[in-house]
Amino acid sequence: MIERLKPYAFATLLADATIGILVLTRHYFDDTTAALVMVLAIMATALLWKSGPALWASVICVICFNYYFIVPYGTLNIDAPEDVVAFIAFAAISIIMGQLSARVEARALQAEARRVEIESLYDKLRLVTEEAAEAELLRRSEKLKSALLDAVTHDLRTPLTSIKAAVTTMISELPREDGYQLELLQVIDEESDRLNRFIQEMMDLARLESGGLDMRRSEISISEIVETALERAAPLLVNHEVDVDLDPALPHLTVDAVAFSQVLYSLLDNATKYSPPGSRIVVSACSQDSTMLLSVHDQGPGIPRDLREKVFEKFFRAQATGTRRAGFGLGLSIAKGIVEAHSGKIWVEDSAGGGTSVVVSIPIGPALEQTA
Amino acid sequence: MNEARDRILVVDDEPQIGKVVRRALESRGFDVRVAPDGESALDQFRSWQPQLVISDLAMPNVDGLTLCTRIRKSSAVPIIVLSVKGEEKTKVEALDAGADDYVTKPFGMDELLARVRALLRRVEAAPPASSDEDFDSGDFQVRPSQHRILVRGQEVHLTPKEYDLLLFFIAHRDRVLTHKTILTAIWGPNSASQGEYLRVFVGQLRKKIEPNPNRPQYLKTEPWIGYRFQTGL
Repeated sequence: MIERLKPYAFATLLADATIGILVLTRHYFDDTTAALVMVLAIMATALLWKSGPALWASVICVICFNYYFIVPYGTLNIDAPEDVVAFIAFAAISIIMGQLSARVEARALQAEARRVEIESLYDKLRLVTEEAAEAELLRRSEKLKSALLDAVTHDLRTPLTSIKAAVTTMISELPREDGYQLELLQVIDEESDRLNRFIQEMMDLARLESGGLDMRRSEISISEIVETALERAAPLLVNHEVDVDLDPALPHLTVDAVAFSQVLYSLLDNATKYSPPGSRIVVSACSQDSTMLLSVHDQGPGIPRDLREKVFEKFFRAQATGTRRAGFGLGLSIAKGIVEAHSGKIWVEDSAGGGTSVVVSIPIGPALEQTA
Repeated sequence: MNEARDRILVVDDEPQIGKVVRRALESRGFDVRVAPDGESALDQFRSWQPQLVISDLAMPNVDGLTLCTRIRKSSAVPIIVLSVKGEEKTKVEALDAGADDYVTKPFGMDELLARVRALLRRVEAAPPASSDEDFDSGDFQVRPSQHRILVRGQEVHLTPKEYDLLLFFIAHRDRVLTHKTILTAIWGPNSASQGEYLRVFVGQLRKKIEPNPNRPQYLKTEPWIGYRFQTGL
């Protein structure tokens, strides 16, 4: 309230001061000049404190003009008819000038505000454009990287295809008694498979790390994912018993089915590597709150606590129980990458009765929102 | 069956791969020609009339997918496509467009030869399509007039849809059938996206015809692509 009355106080002060000076110095000029000076003071009030105080100053000036400068002086009466006209003219001019000045000032302020707004909008636009250009650049460089990866993979795979095709032809055409040659040719065959797996894993990893592994999500049942992974892993699982325990009430997942089945394949691959032949591997899935828990449990020696984080690091390899199929230590880190790309988690757990349980949890609900 | 007379056209833009595949097939008695791209493959196909085509997918000019489509316009010759990992989408498109099977690079020659033999065998022993005559296909005896199918001599009780599905599988055995192909053939063109539907039916069929439904020996899953039916011939 006081803040709002301040401009009126200043306006009163300015008007009173002007009138005071005019009254004290009235012998040096005529009444018309006094009127002009008062209009000047009203305009100043309008510019400084806007229309309300200007109107107030106008009222003070009009009354004082009548009191001090219209005959008879010292009263609010007007004798001469021409003075009445002068008084009305003065009143009108002072009010109109005050209001017009205030409006001009308001317009000027508005224009300034608009300029500031436009400038800030322009800055924002420039920033957004720059960001978009950066994103475009990034997208192009990702595209380039991905194209480069494809080219490198293609160039590595093509000679591997010739090698593999040639060596398997030689193996199949080799006379049975030539065991020595066969052994060497089988080494070439197996190593070309190994190299091929390595190329694939390096590529998967590079894609994951550049964020370029397109997650092509769709709705899929966990049983289809499990079925596919088991199918693919069948050659690895010949020496193990596999139990599958899926909660039939599990809702569909919204995941990249191929990538997610690859996760399960890696876990199965690992379970067979680190558990004795003839032992049991259990694949189970259930829901807990809004997440799905998928676990692969084996009857191997288990993973010591201090290594449980490390197994997901690149190129980490534990001592395999068998002599077969040494991996590159990329499978689990790729699995972790894929799970995290689905906003999920993967970890190693103790399981009842010994052995290792690797558990994957992924959100059932939020995953849907992300794809939408 | 005289394999020596079977002509196989190999299409690959990598000369080394062409050389190795030609050498391996020739040593098995096939007559082989190699084309370095789809364009010349089409020329060879028209003039030479091969019994089987093995084609790479990624090639300059006319690619493998286009080649499949063009060949299918005029011929039912078996086509095997060679694909690399990462080309899954194109591979399924090629199978939808009429390719019969695929082999993933790098491949062992045994695998390729097995696919070649299976497809040639199927062409020679094609069942009488749309005929009411009884026929045998490996472990399966089909009695179309009675809507009956015997598995290893045992009668299996099938619903009409299951019968249609099994008959379709038998008629198209030893080749990869995409989800879309099967759904379109059995349930019509508007059901091509009902993958879950098909999965349920395949599950039921497996319970009725497989000795161990969990480890199917006839009705094999081709992950993310479809199914392959092996009759046990």
